[in-house]
Amino acid sequence: MKIALLDYGAGNLHSLAKAVERCGAEPVVTADWSVALSRDGLVLPGVGAFGAAVAALPADAAPVRERLAAGYPCLGICLGMQLLCETSEEGEGQGIGFFRGRVRRLGTSRVPHMGWNTVSHCPDPLFAGLTEPVVYFANSYVCEIDEDAAICSWTDYGDGPRPSAVRKGRTWGVQFHPEKSSEQGLTMIRNFVREAGR
Amino acid sequence: MLRPRVIVCLDVQDGRVVKGHQFKELRDVGDPVELAERYEAEGADEIVFLDITASHEGRGTLLDTVRRTAERLFIPLTVGGGVRTADDMAALLRAGADKVSVNSSALARPELLTEGAERFGSQCVVISVDGKRDGESWTAFTHGGRRPTGRDAVAWTVEAAERGAGEVLLTSMDRDGARSGYDLELTRAVADRVRVPVIASGGAGGASHLAEAFMEGRADAALVAGILHDGLTTVGELKAHLTAKGVEVR
Repeated sequence: MKIALLDYGAGNLHSLAKAVERCGAEPVVTADWSVALSRDGLVLPGVGAFGAAVAALPADAAPVRERLAAGYPCLGICLGMQLLCETSEEGEGQGIGFFRGRVRRLGTSRVPHMGWNTVSHCPDPLFAGLTEPVVYFANSYVCEIDEDAAICSWTDYGDGPRPSAVRKGRTWGVQFHPEKSSEQGLTMIRNFVREAGR
Repeated sequence: MLRPRVIVCLDVQDGRVVKGHQFKELRDVGDPVELAERYEAEGADEIVFLDITASHEGRGTLLDTVRRTAERLFIPLTVGGGVRTADDMAALLRAGADKVSVNSSALARPELLTEGAERFGSQCVVISVDGKRDGESWTAFTHGGRRPTGRDAVAWTVEAAERGAGEVLLTSMDRDGARSGYDLELTRAVADRVRVPVIASGGAGGASHLAEAFMEGRADAALVAGILHDGLTTVGELKAHLTAKGVEVR
């Protein structure tokens, strides 16, 4: 089982790679989209800024959307979830656009929203074995999702519940960092790896 | 709801964890990788490594320590000490740090905060401020608390957050190692004036001090070191006491 981790060229991929390894898969760190889309699944990591990460996307994201729509397993973490949306207030350019929605800056009293917060979720394979997990967030931006049916969890960032996880088919986006959320986060990564193996 | 965090700080020197008192008198307290892993198991919300190695050669040792820790730690790791440039930040983040804290170098060249925030996101950039009381205010010190800057610690913290720091690690030099409680006035003065999260540091003697830091000091997180390394309490015990006092922790 090989899981590709997309390298946008900024930040910490080391601990995510170790988390994937701990969860029974072999991480393949790559900046090459042909590699990213031809293993057993893809993780879009949550490090860096939107504008810089968009520069690491293919000029035409349509083939990426099609591959995901065809059932290629993908997990977008934090910025990775935001990249699966269409646009962001953080930077120029178009995201992958797999989820209809945009990324907005948080307007709460403390930004970044940093620390451990509750995830109220619907039944979903990603949350198998967990009930209302408390996981680690470090985000200044949040996704506004236009597809209600895709939303699978909610979190209160300080101004009421907003989507914190989305799923369509075999593509998930999570605003928190499972790789930094101790045992509960590792359970989610293990769940993703298991789903990718189906 | 966001939980107030209990963060464990390990002072690291030449690959070992050491503990001092008011920035002096160091003694060895163990292996950073093992200690970090143990504190995660006890329920720590984050780990901070502050590298106090003076030598240039020590950088390699630090990166190796960070790399080995990140292989086994699945909670956030902040690393600080001797960070001078955005490339220094990049090296630590690549080695496995989730956030990098800067102190002296940001006071010398505040643009560093903006450069780090633009390159890695402000959630990766922590401004570490060492404040010492001077009458009705606090003066910022650098170089491990040895050098006064003449700058007001609160005003400097506000500027640092505006320039791109996404979190404040605020240490009271007067309370550091004294175990008499955090400097609540300093903590509150900063927490009321910045919009980024604030970590209270210096003075933890027990759970009631943490509760005060959260409730009166309005801190988002509290740093704990000596009382844990000395075995006087555990993270689990601190959190149980906090829960009993009505502070909802993880």
